[in-house]
Amino acid sequence: MLERIARERVATLFLVTVIVLLLVGMAAPGFLSARTASIIWSNGLVLMLVALGIFPVILTRNIDVSGGSVLGLSAVTLGLTVNAGAPLPVGIAAALGAGAAAGALNGGLVALLGVPSIVATLGTLGLFRGVMLIATGGEWIEELPQGVKDLADKGFFGLSAIGIVALAVIVVVWLVLRTRRGRWIFAVGDNREAARHLGLPVRRIEFFAFVWAGLMYAIAGIAFAAQIGFVPNQAGSGLELRAIAALVLGGISLLGGVGSVAGVVIGVIFFTSIDTALVFLKIPAYWNDLIGGAMLLAVLLIDGRLRIALEARDRAARYRRGGTQPSKSRDLEEAA
Amino acid sequence: MTSVLAELGRVSKSYGNVPVLKGVDFEVRAGEVHALLGGNGAGKSTLMKILAGLIAPSAGRVSIGGAPLSPATPAQAQAMGLYLVPQEAHIFPNQSVLENICIGLPRRAEAYRTRIRDLIAELGVALSPDAKASTLEIADRQVVEILRGLVREAKVLILDEPTSALTPHEVETLFERMRALRETGHGLVFISHKLHELRAVSDRITVLRDGYVMHSAKMSESGDAEILAAMSPGVGALRERRADRARAERKTLEVTGLCGEGFVDISFDLHHGEVLGLTGVVGAGRTELAETLVGLRPRAGGKIALEGRPFLARTPREAVRQNVVILSEDRQQYGLFLDAPLFWNTSSLVHYLLPFVLRPSAERARFEGYRKTLGIKCETADQPVRSLSGGNQQKVLLSKCLAAKPRVLILDEPTRGVDVGARNDIYELIEQLADAGTAVLLISSDFDEVVRLSDRIAVMAGGHLVGALAGGSSTDEIAQLAFESKEAAHA
Ligand SMILES: Nc1ncnc2c1ncn2[C@@H]1O[C@H](COP(=O)(O)OP(=O)(O)OP(=O)(O)O)[C@@H](O)[C@H]1O
Ligand SMILES: [Mg+2]
Repeated sequence: MLERIARERVATLFLVTVIVLLLVGMAAPGFLSARTASIIWSNGLVLMLVALGIFPVILTRNIDVSGGSVLGLSAVTLGLTVNAGAPLPVGIAAALGAGAAAGALNGGLVALLGVPSIVATLGTLGLFRGVMLIATGGEWIEELPQGVKDLADKGFFGLSAIGIVALAVIVVVWLVLRTRRGRWIFAVGDNREAARHLGLPVRRIEFFAFVWAGLMYAIAGIAFAAQIGFVPNQAGSGLELRAIAALVLGGISLLGGVGSVAGVVIGVIFFTSIDTALVFLKIPAYWNDLIGGAMLLAVLLIDGRLRIALEARDRAARYRRGGTQPSKSRDLEEAA
Repeated sequence: MTSVLAELGRVSKSYGNVPVLKGVDFEVRAGEVHALLGGNGAGKSTLMKILAGLIAPSAGRVSIGGAPLSPATPAQAQAMGLYLVPQEAHIFPNQSVLENICIGLPRRAEAYRTRIRDLIAELGVALSPDAKASTLEIADRQVVEILRGLVREAKVLILDEPTSALTPHEVETLFERMRALRETGHGLVFISHKLHELRAVSDRITVLRDGYVMHSAKMSESGDAEILAAMSPGVGALRERRADRARAERKTLEVTGLCGEGFVDISFDLHHGEVLGLTGVVGAGRTELAETLVGLRPRAGGKIALEGRPFLARTPREAVRQNVVILSEDRQQYGLFLDAPLFWNTSSLVHYLLPFVLRPSAERARFEGYRKTLGIKCETADQPVRSLSGGNQQKVLLSKCLAAKPRVLILDEPTRGVDVGARNDIYELIEQLADAGTAVLLISSDFDEVVRLSDRIAVMAGGHLVGALAGGSSTDEIAQLAFESKEAAHA
């Protein structure tokens, strides 16, 4: 049992999360409640969506650091269109369109023009933020209509509309990665040359991973706007790095080809739980980064050590098989 | 007249302004195995990659099943019924063997499980479909590539040096599969540097040299001398084994009761100036033994002495410092820095001897020396190793080991993918090294090579040293020892 848990990064992390939550629960009575769970879920929504967006990009051994900017751009697109009097569905469609277009630009640069993804998305990170600032003239967008804010209101089983969308996205990614073509995404990240040799549409897969990411950032942007009711001009800034950290924590390899949806979800929840717990423990918010970073390092370090130990044991076991029969060796000198 | 399944017409290819292929015609017919032969860098792999849509030709026509290959992509070539098993195995390390084989096929991997299990049994290799591919050794990876080709049942199957890491037994079973495919009207292309292998299965032979077709005819109508002359003018057949030499009394390496990963209780002496052949079937534990000697793997027990003094290398660095050097069987993964210039690779083992501020001119000169002795075919000393043909990469690997002035040189499959001419050169070089006093441990699955070079021969199976033979024993004796012991180990 313990062995199984140790082998699966996701299980390890799940266990750590549960332990942390229980400890906080003991220190601050009232923490362990359905209400806290609901808070963690809604606090983590935006990060979850961004992480689910970057996830397939990283699986293909690329990286996308423009997420925060695309999120901001989409939120602003939504704000500007609805504040100009357009109906909400039009605003949402415009935001999604902006996200997809941004993703297509990233994807085009990487998959079609062959620009390394870190270079391409570092460039578009600035570009998209710039477009957004120009569109708003550097102002914040305030007083979003009630319709937008309603998207974040609890309804069905205590889930908001955006909460339901996020759940649906999790299920969709999980399903897609289980298909035959879903494997291709892993394959491209695992060995790009091999994928090309086997006739997989490598460039198309990379391109769609980026477009998917753009769409997810857009949904995250809408969720962001709905939750806080306005769009500051630094909306989403720095979120991509938090998302990547959550992915790494959840066992998604930055070298591509390895990772699971469960890992994404648990990674994000772990991060958000820490923030939420700190609030409960009345630790000032400016401690969050330090504690979050320290926890990240601790988990990765322990996990890495564990993995090395397990591997050494596996190796020993593999070679012990068939190796311990009584010696049949003859000394070479006899025959020669 | 048999029908033509795939055809290349006046195909040319240049890299920059270096021409590699200069108007080559080639065809694959139904029910035929077409042998493709040529020295290292002659353009065989390039030609086949063009046929498979992996490389765009500079000029010329490519057609499969009578229709032009367009767009020229591997996916299109496969859709048109052509599959290339590449020279260097491409695997997905994080996926299982089964997934590795089945990816890109129309159905889910599980649907092919029984078929693949049958093929594995037929080839007689020990490969588990559920093993993670990153744990596979080079021969097994090559088997994965071959299985990819076989399970796809492509109308045209191209095998680019599939046998270079296999032992004769596996080679023979592969040949049986190839013959069966031929009977059912498939067309095959078979590339190998071993003429006897080509003769065993091929109906037709084409010889490439410097980007031209030098010879193309029925196999039965082509004599060895004719083929070799077409390959490269001045090269004769492999020269004979040289006469037995008296063994020096001085023991360079003494191994007693060595145990480690995949082998137990290995004892042998390696004398000054001796070539000791170490052979056996794939998975016998030879590579593990070699890697343990130089500190790449942990040692579980036993003693090693170098020139009479205890020798303990915990890292390859310590081994190199005492001039104990290994040439890895897996040049792409462990041997070479593929994107670094050639001359960096040559100096890479002796980097600790280099001055604090590097002097590239000296390193280039060192490379230039080896380029001449080994006949490495390249443009400049600055080009990346990746851009060399497979056999020439192997020579660069050899130059790296020689630069370390080895006292003990462990060669793990030193001529994998090397052409006949260069093989002669390398054999001569090994003999010269031995004459100069280097103790050579030669690991090879090529029994002919072992017989050709060794002063003594040791055979391993299932992690044990199962026998020793005098130099000059026949390959049959070796095969008998290796396979019998393998059966015994399995029973
Ligand atoms: N990407 C590249 N850039 C420059 N030159 C290249 C590149 N790829 C191959 N070449 C050159 O093309 C020539 C033919 O290479 P190819 O791999 O086709 O030879 P080969 O006949 O398969 O040889 P081998 O028997 O060693 O496998 C070589 O001289 C090689 O250096
Ligand atoms: Mg080749």
